[in-house]
Amino acid sequence: MHEITQILLSPQGDGCDSEELMPLVYNDLRRMAAARMASEAQGQTLQPTALVHDAWLRMFGNGDRRWQNRGHFFGEATEAMRRILIERARRKSRLKHGHGWVRLDIDDLSLAEATPDDKVLLINEALEHLEAEDPERAKVVVMKFFGGLTNQEVAKILGVAERTVERQWAFAKAWLFQNIREQI
Amino acid sequence: MDDTLSREEEVFDAARKLDDPAEREAYLDRACDDDSKLRVRVEALLSVHSHAEELFTECFSALRSSADNPESPAAARDLAQGGEEEQPGAQIGHYKILQRIGEGGCGAVYTAEQEKPMRRLVALKVIKLGMDTRAVIARFDAERQALAMMDHPNIAKVLDAGATHSGRPYFVMELVRGTRITDYCDQNQLDTRDRLELFIQICHAIQHAHQKGIIHRDIKPSNIIVTLHDGLPVPKVIDFGIAKATEAPLTDKTLLTLQNQLIGTPAYMSPEQAGTGGLDIDTRSDIYSLGVLLYELLTGKTPFDSRTPDI
Repeated sequence: MHEITQILLSPQGDGCDSEELMPLVYNDLRRMAAARMASEAQGQTLQPTALVHDAWLRMFGNGDRRWQNRGHFFGEATEAMRRILIERARRKSRLKHGHGWVRLDIDDLSLAEATPDDKVLLINEALEHLEAEDPERAKVVVMKFFGGLTNQEVAKILGVAERTVERQWAFAKAWLFQNIREQI
Repeated sequence: MDDTLSREEEVFDAARKLDDPAEREAYLDRACDDDSKLRVRVEALLSVHSHAEELFTECFSALRSSADNPESPAAARDLAQGGEEEQPGAQIGHYKILQRIGEGGCGAVYTAEQEKPMRRLVALKVIKLGMDTRAVIARFDAERQALAMMDHPNIAKVLDAGATHSGRPYFVMELVRGTRITDYCDQNQLDTRDRLELFIQICHAIQHAHQKGIIHRDIKPSNIIVTLHDGLPVPKVIDFGIAKATEAPLTDKTLLTLQNQLIGTPAYMSPEQAGTGGLDIDTRSDIYSLGVLLYELLTGKTPFDSRTPDI
């Protein structure tokens, strides 16, 4: 992580192009994705690569990208992961419920009957409300929930105390849950 | 950062760390002072705190497993079957799944370890997806009081019911380890007298249930397990309360097309049960099923061959 920031903030410019960053960032993304998918269950073969490739294409597919700092970078990376995971949840939810317009279906659900994919979609909707009110806290949620980063990692990325992240995360979860309840 | 939210967050954070309700109240009094709006908000958040944690833990795991390539054979199979199988070590409520021991029309049965209020082994049956969980649990709850009052050596107790992470209903029962009655009789080459003695015990059990107002509704050999106590065979009737709870109302579907999906097995269903879709039946349906069971115990076949229904 440290190496990337050095390159990002090198005196040569206020950023650098994606080619140079690629190997370093790719490893970090992989590590992030692997941490995301570390599993307690035995015997599962996990493939972080698929998710990372997707995220990478999202971020770099449009050509050169520049970031100002690691917070910016990881913010975008975790947002990319969020979009991918939400798409997949939508797809699976659609398969299960057989309707085309998932947003309508969610309104009909009660939390007890929702599948985990439905719940993820509900969380995402609530998260959109949080983003409108408080983008900073919403970012913590994206990094932790979709990015799978630890409190320590988030704290380093955002340049705050670990305690702060822990506090914000606990609060955000309760806030989001409350918001979901008000919706359905 | 939003100032209102920051204040809420601060108070919420301090309050949730106070386990003692009196301390918490006192703190909230001081912190919120005369800001009643703040108090209401924080109390609302505190009340959902643990549910929120559960929700996020559950969904985090779901996201984690969905992050695999969705085209993988395992994921495709999961989607096709409509849900994952419980793995050994999985936690469902206070119960830890140990091992799968069987599969029925309704779902799979596992041995599980109960942790609270005491440690013991139980049987845990998870009902397949496709059954309306809330309705199932509600129906079970309605009977739970009566079920709890049943206390008979030939009846396996139903202990608890709930819903798994993926929203499927589960039932927790006294663990009965043994052989289904028809197999037991055949394997041990029981003569007519011995078979009748086992049958009489089952009748006593059903009688006990009927006196408590419980109808089993699904009496068949696979629901009667023979265990050994001090070397003596003891038949136990299992799955009380479950048939009623999981019963979906049948419409005008015929027996022929529903052979495998009927709750209650066609060969053992009384005519009124099969015909009206299981509604409006009473204890006599159980008696009918007992009759079929007796027939099978004595002859090795059911009176109506389930392959060619003639009702």
